[in-house]
Amino acid sequence: MSTTLAFAREHLRAPLTIVLLVALPAAFVVLAASVLGEFADALGGSLVADAASALGAGWSAAFIAGSLGFFQASSSRGADRRLALSGLGVAGVALARIGASLILAVVAGLAAFIALAAETGIAHPWHAAVAILGFAIIYLGVGTVIGALIPSPLEGSLAVAFIFILDVFSGPGMTEGDGSPVSISRSAADVLISSAVGQGSSAEDWIELSLWLAGSLLVALGVFVASARSRL
Amino acid sequence: MSARGGAPEPAAPRGAAVLSVTDVSKSFRRGVLRRRRTDVLKGASMEVRPGELVGLVGENGSGKSVLMKIVVGLLARDGGEVGRTGTLGYCPQEPLLWEKLTVGEHFELFARAYGLADDAATGAEELLLDELEFSRYRGYRVEELSGGTRQKLNLALALMHEPALLLLDEPYAGFDWETYVHFWEMAERRRERGMAILVVSHLLTERERLTRVFTLRDGRMVSE
Repeated sequence: MSTTLAFAREHLRAPLTIVLLVALPAAFVVLAASVLGEFADALGGSLVADAASALGAGWSAAFIAGSLGFFQASSSRGADRRLALSGLGVAGVALARIGASLILAVVAGLAAFIALAAETGIAHPWHAAVAILGFAIIYLGVGTVIGALIPSPLEGSLAVAFIFILDVFSGPGMTEGDGSPVSISRSAADVLISSAVGQGSSAEDWIELSLWLAGSLLVALGVFVASARSRL
Repeated sequence: MSARGGAPEPAAPRGAAVLSVTDVSKSFRRGVLRRRRTDVLKGASMEVRPGELVGLVGENGSGKSVLMKIVVGLLARDGGEVGRTGTLGYCPQEPLLWEKLTVGEHFELFARAYGLADDAATGAEELLLDELEFSRYRGYRVEELSGGTRQKLNLALALMHEPALLLLDEPYAGFDWETYVHFWEMAERRRERGMAILVVSHLLTERERLTRVFTLRDGRMVSE
């Protein structure tokens, strides 16, 4: 069993994680999407039904991945550092954590995509899948940083939720124009909305999304490196 | 601690210190603005040689675990020097384990980190599960274990690769009497094979087994 799989397995064994992987996407895609359009209207935005459902899938993947990223960074620092000192090294532990994070992001994204596919037709399924994964990876970085700064489970979870809520209500479709600059998932949301309404995304949109994903993974890697390193 | 992918480094020759701590100092900042300073270590010095079983005692809050963490590399020191040779095994005071992984999975992870070959890893695992009498818990997750069994795993992981220097911070906390006796027998066997062992405890009753005892008092070391 590789270290990466062990770290991923550590988080996927929690019964609540499994429940949330099923319940959250269903709640966001099926239940919340129907009221998101009304919220968007109230905030000056506009969301058609399919776009609302697609965004619901993205946000569910984001919230799950953000929470898992938080617990990856906050809950295992001591054990990770011990493993690094035992010979695996800082790089070995950090890369294993990034690998596990990506596995968790894929799982979160897949659960959300399945919920979306079950609820609506998707004009560009591959674009939607990548965009949903994009939400997950961006929030992986967010959760990891919060986990490094705020070790308390309650305070950290609240911080993830706070950033998530700010992001949701400032994103594309929820506000006038193209979304607020503070919306960290804006690039993923743009691609996802386009895929849901049957439009492709421009090269600029894909480049922007790629930069956000690369940045998020680099930030998460930096957190894991800092967390695992020796103080000698 | 052994380099990844290689055989464990050979033990240092008898007589040369495996662990050398010289004038180590450490303080912590406290308070909301971190303006209050607490000096925990004020120039602690000690040595441990191969084949020695050394005790380090002190009152609660005297800095024993802080010194241990500095020696291992989990905490930065403010001053002084720490020198180590050979491989290192560390058993922390609080079991540093992954709650949702099993006992067996912990052995696998550390065997890979120590660079143990498969047969050596399997042999070490079986030996330690048997010595500490917790074989039946191999498939249990850490969250399902009692405090004493967690500590057995915590200790076993430090011993897997038969290090040249073994650092044990309150290693028998939570042990029943039988396991406590087994622990000292295990330590004695390894000492006779040349392992250097440092046991940190606020209570050491087995002083006749120890080569030397250092007492940490007021941030400095007093040797008995």
